[in-house]
Amino acid sequence: MIGSASGRGLGATVIAVALAAALLPGCSNDATLTIYSGREEELIGPLLEEFASSAETEIDIRYGDSADLALLIESEGDSSPADVFLSQSPGSVGFLDEQGLLATVPEGLLEDVDERFRADDGRWVGLSARQRVLVYNTELVDEGELPASVLELTDASYRQKVGLAPTNGSFQDFVTAMRQIEGDDVARRWLEGMVANESPTYADNLSIVDAVARGEVPMGLVNHYYNYGYLAENPDAATRNYIFPGSDVGSLLIASTASVLASTDQEEEAETFVEFMLSRDSESYYAEEGFEYPLTDAVDAADGLPPLDSLEAPDVDIDDLGEGLEATTTMISQSGLL
Amino acid sequence: MAFSRGRREVSGPWGLRLAAGSVVALFSIPFGYLLVQNASEADTFWRTISAPEALAPLGWSLLLAVAVSIAATVLGTGAAWITTRTDVPGRRLWRILLPLPLVIPSFIGAFVFLTAFAPGGLLETMLAPLGVERLRPFHGFWGSFFVLTLFTYPYVFLPAAARLAQLPSSLEESARLLGTSSYKTFWRVVLPQSRGAIGAGTLLVFLYSISDFGVVQLMRYDTLTRVIYATRLFDRSTSLALSLQLGLLAVAVVVLERFVARGTLRADLRRTQRPLQLSLRGLLKPAAFAAIVALVTAALIVPIAVLLWWSLRGLRAGTMTAGELLTEMADLTGPVLNTSGAALAAALAAVAVVLPVAYLSVRHRSHLAGGANAVIVGGFALPGLVVALSFVFWVLSAPGLGFLYQTLPLLVLAYVVHFGAQSLRTAQVAVAGIPRNVEDAARSLGADRWRRLVRVDLPLMRPALLSGAGIVLLSTMKELPATLILAPAGFQTLAMKIWSATQSAIFVNASLASLMLILLSGFLTWALVIRGTTVAR
Repeated sequence: MIGSASGRGLGATVIAVALAAALLPGCSNDATLTIYSGREEELIGPLLEEFASSAETEIDIRYGDSADLALLIESEGDSSPADVFLSQSPGSVGFLDEQGLLATVPEGLLEDVDERFRADDGRWVGLSARQRVLVYNTELVDEGELPASVLELTDASYRQKVGLAPTNGSFQDFVTAMRQIEGDDVARRWLEGMVANESPTYADNLSIVDAVARGEVPMGLVNHYYNYGYLAENPDAATRNYIFPGSDVGSLLIASTASVLASTDQEEEAETFVEFMLSRDSESYYAEEGFEYPLTDAVDAADGLPPLDSLEAPDVDIDDLGEGLEATTTMISQSGLL
Repeated sequence: MAFSRGRREVSGPWGLRLAAGSVVALFSIPFGYLLVQNASEADTFWRTISAPEALAPLGWSLLLAVAVSIAATVLGTGAAWITTRTDVPGRRLWRILLPLPLVIPSFIGAFVFLTAFAPGGLLETMLAPLGVERLRPFHGFWGSFFVLTLFTYPYVFLPAAARLAQLPSSLEESARLLGTSSYKTFWRVVLPQSRGAIGAGTLLVFLYSISDFGVVQLMRYDTLTRVIYATRLFDRSTSLALSLQLGLLAVAVVVLERFVARGTLRADLRRTQRPLQLSLRGLLKPAAFAAIVALVTAALIVPIAVLLWWSLRGLRAGTMTAGELLTEMADLTGPVLNTSGAALAAALAAVAVVLPVAYLSVRHRSHLAGGANAVIVGGFALPGLVVALSFVFWVLSAPGLGFLYQTLPLLVLAYVVHFGAQSLRTAQVAVAGIPRNVEDAARSLGADRWRRLVRVDLPLMRPALLSGAGIVLLSTMKELPATLILAPAGFQTLAMKIWSATQSAIFVNASLASLMLILLSGFLTWALVIRGTTVAR
């Protein structure tokens, strides 16, 4: 017996229903604003929906890793359906800027944002900022023992104690900033020192926070908001953020960005969208929901976060981060960390 | 002329060759892309793949893939034999549960195992009262080996179980009548007759392991895929050169495998009323039962338990209320339908597409079939991102194809090219298993080629083809990188949901979508594969 007739009927029904359901959606028209978003859906999805309903604009959103989406836009070239690119960090944007694939954000929008957090050539504007921090386990590390500078982590006393995510874009931005502020030699020696210290490497920021919470590694270099998300579900976790004092390069601020693509045929709608993303409501949303630093003057940071202008973060022109990233990844890979 | 090898007509009918030729063209999409991209810098290609920085990761990749292949083959074959040929309790349930680990995406699966077994993880917490201070580190080679083995043994289990379930019992009965012990019968009679099916699964495990990125990235094990990933944006030439190297390596392995496995495809798939079933005596029965329970526990129950724990933790911490939980579940309806629809379409299309190649390679001597075999299998070894970008490249650069871009048919086509290899070998086993005398009888009764295919061949091949389709189905359901690039706008799958939740460290959402994925795959495997491959008892 090769299965009963009813068996075949069930199989065929399952296939038919599922295929029909899958083929039904996916109609789009030319008046749709297409957004490629390297920013997480969980955070900005609701915001984008709000834009779609308030501006009465149809939107299509493609989520993905910022670097993968940049690669995709580059592959698509002039025929890219994307009108706007939202990126986790300026690194991937710099890649597209070099290929000449980005349009200029209007002056009026750029002016809303502190000049540290927008491109000199106007090819991207920062929406919110995240800070690099040292996350540590309070049961394994005494706050008093924490170093005054990220540069001290190459000391032998931190052997195997600091988790790093060398393939992560924010880590790479941080190394680029270190090259700018301290010079290539210092940056190279720091990377080699971290390798010599056998610093464990992880896949990404979340893996580091998780490893620190479990006590597998006592501390790690991450972006500040991962620990807030982690603590929300694990109130008992002994993970705390430590911000390097003064204007240490270890406490770099990194902007998430918005850019309009040069190939867009909906410049006006794209700019309206960027304006919406910089609005007071949107900026409050990044602060309240994502624990991120708002970049326009109008909005304060969320409870528990210091206000942006009180932060003594290093004065780096983030604009240069993207362009220096190629040399940075080469340096990281030559150090043996990658 | 009328006997065995003489039946392999030299090149095959033109219709079949044309079909196989089109299949080769389709499956050449990723390789063509990599060749075009690498062609402009041929000397860079050679320099890159021979550089010490690339050779070491290649070595690590091979070491891991070989080790995982061996372990997964032993586990998959053993589990298949126990659940199809013995009277171990709960056989039907085990046959549904055993393939399911294949559906857990590696980026969440590896995280689950880290939560369970890494230092400071759940196991350590549970063992603490027993005086266990610290568990061994759980990463690197052994971590990757453990997780990959548990997630890939179904590649062997599915074809092996399909084969064992319908192996003619006559030889085994003879062997036993002649006084051969069951142990010897297994090694001398059962195993040789199942070699083709098992080997097909082993090859898939190998290819999956060298192309995996999610597990090795989280386990911090330095493979070729990690270099391809790390260099993808700012060192394109390295990334593209190493991708091509990975593909060529797969092709080399296929050629080698075909050489070694020559002749193992010939098998008689006539169905018996029931396959010979061994009744386990004494301690063997509890031992076999314990082995299956241990495997299902490690590969499926542990991940499910961790996922449930994540959900409960989220509920307890108040990041999600019970009401929100229900809304969240309801929101999964769309992704559930999308995932099933796309995966079913890909599974059926993959089987249909590789079938002409299977006929050509089994029944005829054809270089075309050899080439088809190589490109089809090569597509599985390439990272999903590369396969996706190759489709972007060709569809947007070939005139008149642009309308297909980011549509569902194109996504399904990309799945077929990426995973077609998973149904190829089972299709070959299926074609080889059609007894020629049955075909001859149909022919002498005047049935034409199509009629013979529909009325004779397909019913006979059904179990083997379905097991191949089942593997494609499970792999497609968890696919992420190509889906993110090629899915139609607004088209969400469960894997995309899981990924986006992990991006924001929202474990509770990630776990709900993961549990849904496992549940759905269990249902689909049961409805479409198990029911079709099980001999009625």
